[in-house]
Amino acid sequence: MAEQKTVLTPIPGVFYRKPAPDKDVYVKEGDAVKTGDVIALVEVMKNFYEIKAETEGVLAQFFVEDEDLLDAGQEIAVIIEQ
Amino acid sequence: MIKVINPGLQTTVQDHGRIGHYEVGMPPSGAMDKYSYLASNLLVGNKDHAAVLEITYMGPVLEFQQDVNVAITGGEMPPKINGQSVPMWETLAIKAGDVLSFDFIKQGARVYLAVAGGIDVPLIMESRSTYTLCGIGGFEGRALQAGDELKIGGENESEIAVGTRISDELIPTFSKTNEIRVVLGLCSYRLTEESKERFFSIDWTVTPEANRVGYRFKGERLNFVEREQPFGAGSNPSNVVDLGYPIGSIQVPDGVEPIALLNDAVTGGGYATICTIISTDLDKMAQIKTNEKVRFVAVDIHEALEIRKEYQGKINQMKQQVLGHKGGVKNG
Amino acid sequence: MARYEYGGDEFIFVELSEAMSLETNFQAMAITKTLREGKLPGILDICPSNASYMIRFNPDIIHPDELISKLKELDQEVSLENFEITARAVDVPILFEDPWTHEALMRFRDRHQDPTATDLEYVARTNGFQSKEELIKAITDSPYLVSMIGFVPGLPWCYQMVPNEQQIEAPKYVRPRTYTPERAFGFGGAFAVIYPVQGAGGYQLFGTAAAPIFEKEQRLHDFKESMTFPRQGDVFRYRSISMEEYEEIRSEVENGDFRYLTKEITFKPQDVLENPKAFSDSVLRRLYA
Repeated sequence: MAEQKTVLTPIPGVFYRKPAPDKDVYVKEGDAVKTGDVIALVEVMKNFYEIKAETEGVLAQFFVEDEDLLDAGQEIAVIIEQ
Repeated sequence: MIKVINPGLQTTVQDHGRIGHYEVGMPPSGAMDKYSYLASNLLVGNKDHAAVLEITYMGPVLEFQQDVNVAITGGEMPPKINGQSVPMWETLAIKAGDVLSFDFIKQGARVYLAVAGGIDVPLIMESRSTYTLCGIGGFEGRALQAGDELKIGGENESEIAVGTRISDELIPTFSKTNEIRVVLGLCSYRLTEESKERFFSIDWTVTPEANRVGYRFKGERLNFVEREQPFGAGSNPSNVVDLGYPIGSIQVPDGVEPIALLNDAVTGGGYATICTIISTDLDKMAQIKTNEKVRFVAVDIHEALEIRKEYQGKINQMKQQVLGHKGGVKNG
Repeated sequence: MARYEYGGDEFIFVELSEAMSLETNFQAMAITKTLREGKLPGILDICPSNASYMIRFNPDIIHPDELISKLKELDQEVSLENFEITARAVDVPILFEDPWTHEALMRFRDRHQDPTATDLEYVARTNGFQSKEELIKAITDSPYLVSMIGFVPGLPWCYQMVPNEQQIEAPKYVRPRTYTPERAFGFGGAFAVIYPVQGAGGYQLFGTAAAPIFEKEQRLHDFKESMTFPRQGDVFRYRSISMEEYEEIRSEVENGDFRYLTKEITFKPQDVLENPKAFSDSVLRRLYA
């Protein structure tokens, strides 16, 4: 049975789905991801922290929008394990 | 020796601060939450001014190459030794080969790790604090990086038994909504009465630009009293003839977003300062994260000095608990 | 009337005047110098600034109100009439319109009052000079008093020792730059500055200093005692240099041989205020003798 894994941000900051403004998003909803794939960035104190998939599966949904301001520990996406 | 396996988001060596050089534009740097800093040193028997690691938002992974006592205080970031949870605010024993790591931050923003003897880095202008903007002090003037090796110094003066704890009522708790007390003044005459009133009556949100230099807040625009600018001040109504900025002072460049200046801030400049965070509440400020809320509360100088006394009373109580073992909670 | 303000529980801020003038700066200097000599217990920092000054103190040792009464007394006692300043006159070589600063300022044209001009052209025009060369001449003709140090370690605010009507004034950028090269020579409000380190900044940029004013490694002779070179009360003469001289100085700095040309001078603020031109001439004569 497919299990759902929620992805959290450990740090607060600004959420980015793209590596740079003129680049494509790291992952689209429905894309397959592998453990260790970068799925988004969170920027705080001029540091960019990479949010990585901690499991293999399909990134089903993002719960936050690009450039949203996030709290530490906020849920940002869900991955359905394959 | 302590080996840095992973540095965390921003981990720096800090002590009491580089005090007495403000006149040449040198900010004090130093631990931002002094209460937690003092507690960590106390629990490992260090002198008050010993250098510790200040950890922000995300913990490092550290491998210890010698036996040493440590203590972890500040925001709640559950520590683990070799993967086993260990308590904060308590004297812990580390053995050579142990790995210290941390869970995600649960409360607060900054954590202090003291090791018995202190972190040994060169004294620069009487302090070991890191001032990253100019690359001064600390470990090579910068935040820690993977592969760094930290030496342990000889700044301890008393033996503290493993398991010595700070009692719960002396451990601060941190929240997502905070009251920060300020003394209104400096150039507050530049703000309109209405803006002064608004400054104290809305919730300000901490932006991602919140670090050791300062915190920037989002809320609403504040307005300055219209005037012909005095000679030398510059043309913006938020400009004044360049002056000194107290640590903890708040300015509102162009009226857009208030900025609170903290330990690594610029020491002076040309923006009207409107109030100053009282020294005890700088500790609280240091534990507030991006996207959390702040309400500013005005106190007068007498109240500020009373609050300072209460704060010092708590520190003395903490010292008695740890050094005098009077009422201190001991484990096992 | 001076205003005495609490900066929280550890600072006192004293504004002597809202406007900048040489006289106010000398007054701040005289009060802070006397305070320093008094060695009052509990004082941590004494920071003279342009038209104000600031004290950091330990309120457990001295009550802020006691400190304020002490400062008010000093304000009455201290008089510029018998105040004497011993300081250094310093030759500070500047390469105006250098390629590096130019490159930096062109990157931030969208934050400037006049995106079509350079900072030097803009300030020349707004101050009524016929050309940028005339502005450079006005900047370099008369020396400056180092009226305050701060912002970042060693940044000198410099106020030209000329009558008020000859003062150059410049607005700061509409929005500050995120980048300013190390050693950039800038102008904002009524102040000339040198940026000690790379960083953000809002002053108009005219050129670059050839020699450092901040050196954390403390290799050069002038930095043996302190990482920061400028001291409040110094008299800086900004001298326009050629690219050739700039490169010579840069290689002296690299070799560790560079030393600022300095002369010790003693002067009375009253003399400067009464005849700035005569003072300026005598400083330049002494400096280049």
